[in-house]
Amino acid sequence: MIGMGENILYALPAVPLGTALLAFGIRSRRVAEVVHLAGISILALLSLILVRDVLGGQRPFVLDGMFFADELTAILLLLIGVVGFLNGFYSIGYMRHDLAHGEVKERNISFYYGFYHLFLFTMVLSAISNNVAILWAAVEATTLGSAFLVGFYHHKTSAEGAWKYVLLCSIGLAFALYGTILTYSNAFSMVQDAHKAMLWTELVNMAPHLDPQMMKLAFVFILIGFGTKAGLFPMHTWLPDAHSEAPSPASALLSGVLLKCAFFAIIRYYAIALQAVGKGFPQTLLLIFGLLTVGVAAFFILVQNDIKRKLAYSSVEHIGIMATGLGAGGALGVFAALLHTINHSVTKSLLFCTAGNITMKYGTRDAQKIRGMGKVIPFTAFMFTAGLVTVAGSPPFNVFVSEFMTLTAVLRSGHVWPMIFLLLFLVIVFVALILLISETVLGSPPEDLPRGEVNWLTLLPFGILFLFMAGLGIYLPAPLNQLLQGAVSVVLGGK
Amino acid sequence: MAGTSVVNALAVLLILTSMMVVGTKKLRLAAYMYSIQSLVLVSIFLSLAIFMRAEPLYIWSVTALITKTFLVPYLLLRTLKTVGDQEEGMTLKTTASIFLAVLMVALAFVVVGSFHTYALLKIKVALAVSIAHFLLGLFCILTRKNALKQILGYCLLENGSHLTLALTAYNAPETVEIGILTDAVFAVLIMTVIARRLFKGFGTLDTDTHTLLKG
Repeated sequence: MIGMGENILYALPAVPLGTALLAFGIRSRRVAEVVHLAGISILALLSLILVRDVLGGQRPFVLDGMFFADELTAILLLLIGVVGFLNGFYSIGYMRHDLAHGEVKERNISFYYGFYHLFLFTMVLSAISNNVAILWAAVEATTLGSAFLVGFYHHKTSAEGAWKYVLLCSIGLAFALYGTILTYSNAFSMVQDAHKAMLWTELVNMAPHLDPQMMKLAFVFILIGFGTKAGLFPMHTWLPDAHSEAPSPASALLSGVLLKCAFFAIIRYYAIALQAVGKGFPQTLLLIFGLLTVGVAAFFILVQNDIKRKLAYSSVEHIGIMATGLGAGGALGVFAALLHTINHSVTKSLLFCTAGNITMKYGTRDAQKIRGMGKVIPFTAFMFTAGLVTVAGSPPFNVFVSEFMTLTAVLRSGHVWPMIFLLLFLVIVFVALILLISETVLGSPPEDLPRGEVNWLTLLPFGILFLFMAGLGIYLPAPLNQLLQGAVSVVLGGK
Repeated sequence: MAGTSVVNALAVLLILTSMMVVGTKKLRLAAYMYSIQSLVLVSIFLSLAIFMRAEPLYIWSVTALITKTFLVPYLLLRTLKTVGDQEEGMTLKTTASIFLAVLMVALAFVVVGSFHTYALLKIKVALAVSIAHFLLGLFCILTRKNALKQILGYCLLENGSHLTLALTAYNAPETVEIGILTDAVFAVLIMTVIARRLFKGFGTLDTDTHTLLKG
């Protein structure tokens, strides 16, 4: 395993794809669980090895440079591998509960694991693509890979959520395809090499020579396209439906990891645009749409009653914050945006998974009916509270750090009013989430509800996610810092 | 140049067929229209390959023939069998639709300039048509409320971008076309599966009634 060199780029997509195919064929739930656990463990391990390799200065390329890994790839793979593992581990307990309560049939459990790994496969593919057309195809494939996870339960609402998800994201991504084509034709006219004109590493090198007008148009298409998939306003409307209807661990993966895959695609083009058309254009667009996204999401977080929809809108809000970070620009802004992807990923996974336990216990997602969690399921209630406090942006947790950096970056870039608006929106979110805590955690629980956690197996990932969340709030480990700094240079063109 | 006029004539035919897809009330008929339209698209690929010596487009026309003239319409018709042929209410009068379609073609001619600069095949009319086609698909999805009609809208939109791709980047590595086509077919497949479940749950494919999720 040590020193796989370039082969790791084959192993990374092969493992989830193989696991998916295997899982689809298995009938026994127990065997499917074992295969699933092995799959997520190996993928997590491989992603960590890749991170180590990249930190060691390696830049693996395979298939004529079609696939590659740099610091940005490493960060995204870290999320896919580690967060994918934790949500996957949580899935086991969650699915057992659903099976025991007749929510799903035994046969569907293997389908769930199969789709889970198919989804991981498409995300890995999007992370390691250097060819921008493959990148586009991989992001589109993530929609298709996860559609059945969104529509997993045979409720009317899940079909409705899945429908909006696939239709809107496919339309959105069609715009991104135009952006991709424009970038390619622009580059091809320069290098007259069809293969090179598709490679991101080449594109970013020749960016200063690309036609600025064309790249502006291309960037707009890209922002609409991948922005739809990332959940940026005004194309975010599918997100709360899809993320709330999926089984909770899948919601966690959608919010925690998938949104970042689309967001990283935007970052790749942001890097090209910065050099091709200058800072002003891409940054202004991202700042405007980032702030609008945060503002609209803040309002919806306040008025929602469904806890999973609240969490989904909170994901919209945080994507907005990341976009704002890129909009502020500079090393600080980009660093903040990247750190925020990690912080949000960890925290939102914890929240969706705890929300899963809450719905298992109370049998509802309606915040008006969930009362006295602190007494009924104290451990989950504590984790849920900690997660909400974090996602609201309160110290000493991790989200506070990157939000504070984003605010500073916006201020430093000379945008005083945007900074004030951002702060105002964050206050609204804070109030909304603290209200949610006071309603659901405190209060007196329903009389007939037996006390005690639903499922001990699900609590282990909570503990680990909590440690990440709290740990990253007070201390940024040196390797992670190095990785982020490296990624910032990749984006801003320092290396 | 004879080649250009053939391609342009076919491109105009493409717009006509797509307006028939949007305008036809019977969904079964619309699906057949789509199949015919894809055949026109295939002929465009072929004539580009012949007249412009764009060799890769020979392969494109074969793959498009298999997936778009046969596979996708088959998927749609199979779904129609389960849900029954649907008559859909029109939200817009035919005249209004035609007017809007013309508007979109005009809009496409305005936008086409920037694409044209770097297109590999400099056939402005066909390029404008491809973009207009994309917009028509979008228009179909936005104004039609039947889920299957929206899938057809997506297919139109996809045919539009496929043609843009052929005109601007037919020389791209083969993997690119495979990736994009695979996605398109799977997208339609998955949408039809979900549409069936919508029908099972709600008893109708009218998306105006699928409004359990709000806010």
